[in-house]
Amino acid sequence: MAELTLPRPARRRPLHIGLALGLLGTLLFALVLARQPTLAGPDAPALQQLLLWHSLLPRAATALLAGAALGLSGALLQRVLRNPIADPSTLGIAAGAQLALTLAMAFAPALLAFSREGTAFAGGIVAVALVLAMSWRRGFEPVTVVVAGMTLSLMAGAMSAALILARGDYVFSLFIWGAGALHQQNWQPALLVGTRLALGAAAALLLLRPLDLMTLDDAAARSLGAAVQGMRLGIIALAVWLAASVVSQVGVIGFVGLAAPAFARLGGARRPGALLLASPLIGALMLWITDSLVQLTASDGGDLIPTGAAVGLLGGPLLLWLLPRLPVSAPRQPMATGHTRRLRRPGRALVLLAAGALLMAALALLAGRDLEGWALATGPLLAELAAFRIPRIVAAAAAGGLLGAAGAIMQRLTGNPLAGPEVLGVSAGAGVGLAIALTLSPAPSAALLLAASAGGALGALALVLLMAAWTGFAAERLLLCGIALGCTGLAILSAVFAAGGPGSFRLLAWMSGSTDKVGANEAWMLAACALVLLLPVAVLGRWLDILPLGAGVSASLGVPVGASQLILTLLAALMTGVAAFFVGPLSLVGLIGPHLARLSGFVSGRAFVFASALIGAGVLLLADWLARMLAFPYQLPTGLLAALVGGPYLIWLLQRGGRRHG
Amino acid sequence: MRSGPGLSRRALLAAAATLAAPGARAQGAALRVATIDWALLETLLGMGITPVAAAELVLFRTVAVEPPVPPSVIDIGLRGAPNFEALRLARPSLIFSSNYYAEMEPKLRLVAPVETISIYRTGDPPFARAEAAAVRIGAVTGREDAARALIADVTAQLVRDRANLAGHAGRPVLVLNLGDARHFRVFGADSLFGEVLGRLGLANAWGERTSYAASAPIGLEALARFPEAFLIVLRPVPPDAARVLGQSVLWNALPNIRDRRLAVLDSVDPFGGLPAAARFARLLSAALRAEGDAAGRGGDLG
Repeated sequence: MAELTLPRPARRRPLHIGLALGLLGTLLFALVLARQPTLAGPDAPALQQLLLWHSLLPRAATALLAGAALGLSGALLQRVLRNPIADPSTLGIAAGAQLALTLAMAFAPALLAFSREGTAFAGGIVAVALVLAMSWRRGFEPVTVVVAGMTLSLMAGAMSAALILARGDYVFSLFIWGAGALHQQNWQPALLVGTRLALGAAAALLLLRPLDLMTLDDAAARSLGAAVQGMRLGIIALAVWLAASVVSQVGVIGFVGLAAPAFARLGGARRPGALLLASPLIGALMLWITDSLVQLTASDGGDLIPTGAAVGLLGGPLLLWLLPRLPVSAPRQPMATGHTRRLRRPGRALVLLAAGALLMAALALLAGRDLEGWALATGPLLAELAAFRIPRIVAAAAAGGLLGAAGAIMQRLTGNPLAGPEVLGVSAGAGVGLAIALTLSPAPSAALLLAASAGGALGALALVLLMAAWTGFAAERLLLCGIALGCTGLAILSAVFAAGGPGSFRLLAWMSGSTDKVGANEAWMLAACALVLLLPVAVLGRWLDILPLGAGVSASLGVPVGASQLILTLLAALMTGVAAFFVGPLSLVGLIGPHLARLSGFVSGRAFVFASALIGAGVLLLADWLARMLAFPYQLPTGLLAALVGGPYLIWLLQRGGRRHG
Repeated sequence: MRSGPGLSRRALLAAAATLAAPGARAQGAALRVATIDWALLETLLGMGITPVAAAELVLFRTVAVEPPVPPSVIDIGLRGAPNFEALRLARPSLIFSSNYYAEMEPKLRLVAPVETISIYRTGDPPFARAEAAAVRIGAVTGREDAARALIADVTAQLVRDRANLAGHAGRPVLVLNLGDARHFRVFGADSLFGEVLGRLGLANAWGERTSYAASAPIGLEALARFPEAFLIVLRPVPPDAARVLGQSVLWNALPNIRDRRLAVLDSVDPFGGLPAAARFARLLSAALRAEGDAAGRGGDLG
């Protein structure tokens, strides 16, 4: 794997850039100080003083220190993973820490009073461990790591949404943390983050030489006597600690860790020492400047947008900008290599899968709970309940099928086993469309919401296709485009949540994923869409077989590479978009389906996609049924259940593959 | 709120039809209504109508608290995702819903006729709409007398509380929720609480507009702009916020806290109906009148 090679700018002085940023920050902060409201009453002068010392100054200090901590964390992660797009947000550390805090708030508030930082750290460590476990098999290759991180972030987001819905009493608190806000009323957060930063910086200084060695490959480093793996884990833990301490104090602040090292490199810092010095400085100034801008645009009624979400909006564009500068890394690994068994009669296996899905549907239709206990619905009772059960079953099966197929196509297209439908950013686009409709209209009808989310999904799709065309449809570029779009979408959603308007609940319900509101008409419409979108796969089988072999081979075999990629991307995106606006971003199904299909030995492109669709349908049917049954009459979000049932299994599968072939 | 006579007649007819139908499980109960909306649940209970089913009762009992929900009411799960099957098995003959749940109306109609009554709409003061909701429920269920009684009770209570608070007339009050140790949200003039303040002869210290009853999160430091206001903090207060604020220099130096112009009220549903308004008025006036006795409790959020 190559070290990042950004184009070296013609001798720019990092010092000058730093000074300019510092000057801008000071200027803005002076404006903030000048714009403070004048208080009335006899206590006013004392209060003014108090506000300066206990609110304004600690706020600036916290912004600087948190920005520095995130910058350092990002620089360390990028160095140790040799990944220029690693940072606490893209690796899912921030989302994991936030989920841990949310879980603690809902189930063990005493834990938070005991140690917010410890809780956040535990969440961050679990998240990063999962991401690394998922991408281990691909040698921590940058795009794969980030795809795993974003998938995890989405799952953590869905889980947080479900928790917020279920624990209505602390809703308001939970909303605030999602989008980091820097308001202060004492020095405690600044002190806490500051001491962590100092310790982290000292440790980084000690690790400077080993970090230098990390640029070499593992074998070379080992021969020099560095205990590479142990050192790596130590540095990752340090980076997680820095990020978690920030999340625990001020909530999620996205992408400072990504931006700071990138800007440092742009400013000409290249050696690890210079990068480790420049990144925290730039991160500190970035967050300070953003926070001053947020304060300057705030009205008496509160901030327009929380600082964390404001910085988060930077994430997407930044990733896009870094995109062309990424080295095209790791050679493609053909997906269906001989290590899995190969089905001799995939046709018969497909029929079996279809029968299984039908059986699951029958179970979901007949078995259930009523007010007294478990009951098998028959006769008149069935006739009565069918009106509610059939639409859900049809919707779950169709959505599961679409997501499974979309995931299978995406994996064939990109050669990446972690490329699920959500990395196209289409689901996030649907969410943003929904958010806009809910924000603008006081009581939106179902039709308006549908139209809005369809518009959002199509908009996102157009953007991804445009960007992909612009970068020449390279698989990794496509993935990163989608991720960048997803990041921006999530930042917008978290800003909407933080405002806490009437639409937040509807949006939360969508985020957590549910087949609940689908009526009979919508269900059949979804089923028709599924058929229309799945049928073309039957004739595109050849492309799906050949494209994973690489552009050169494909072209020599007579496959129109650009056109086939465009058509397949469009197909996968339409599948995802349709499923997303009916049942929310049920992302994990799109990963589980293809994995089980590959494991069962479906090799040919066509059979692989159809098997993934059938398995996806079965998994979502099961998840939907469990969601209705487990806490009856309370319904759990289907998407969450799919993630909980399928997630651990998926990680175990990926891990097992790694051990056998690692 | 829809106010065509056609709908009410249709709903009435449907209710009557169910009652008349032989074998319908309406033993003795005059009405089998269900509700998704909490404000309407409060109003129904306040009018002495016990619904057969209602949503999210576990949380209702901790957030809205009053009126008590009889154990016979079937819980049909989250408001945002009610269990239509459980609702169906409860066999309501009429379902009350509001604009929050407009999206699920087609599915609700599969169970029973739906009457949509919306109290909270952006830009409309909710108190009059809460009264109108009671009137409407009375008309649809044939219990006009109960609606009139509820409105009269609440009005009388507000008049009584206003008289009791005569010494506090015109006093600025700030009604807020604490999100954590650094943020609060405040209820504006367009909220139910804001309107109750007005009816009690108090002034809402929050002069700014709020976009939807309550404001977006605001930094704690903004409280310094209201040194004279009496702070009403509504439960729940997050445990770590209570702990941190107890030691906070800024918080304890605020004139309101220093002079103990602070009371913590038990939870009231901010998006409730008339019973929520009455509960808020009762708790608020008790807190203001106990102001002198609360020595040593100021700043204590526990």
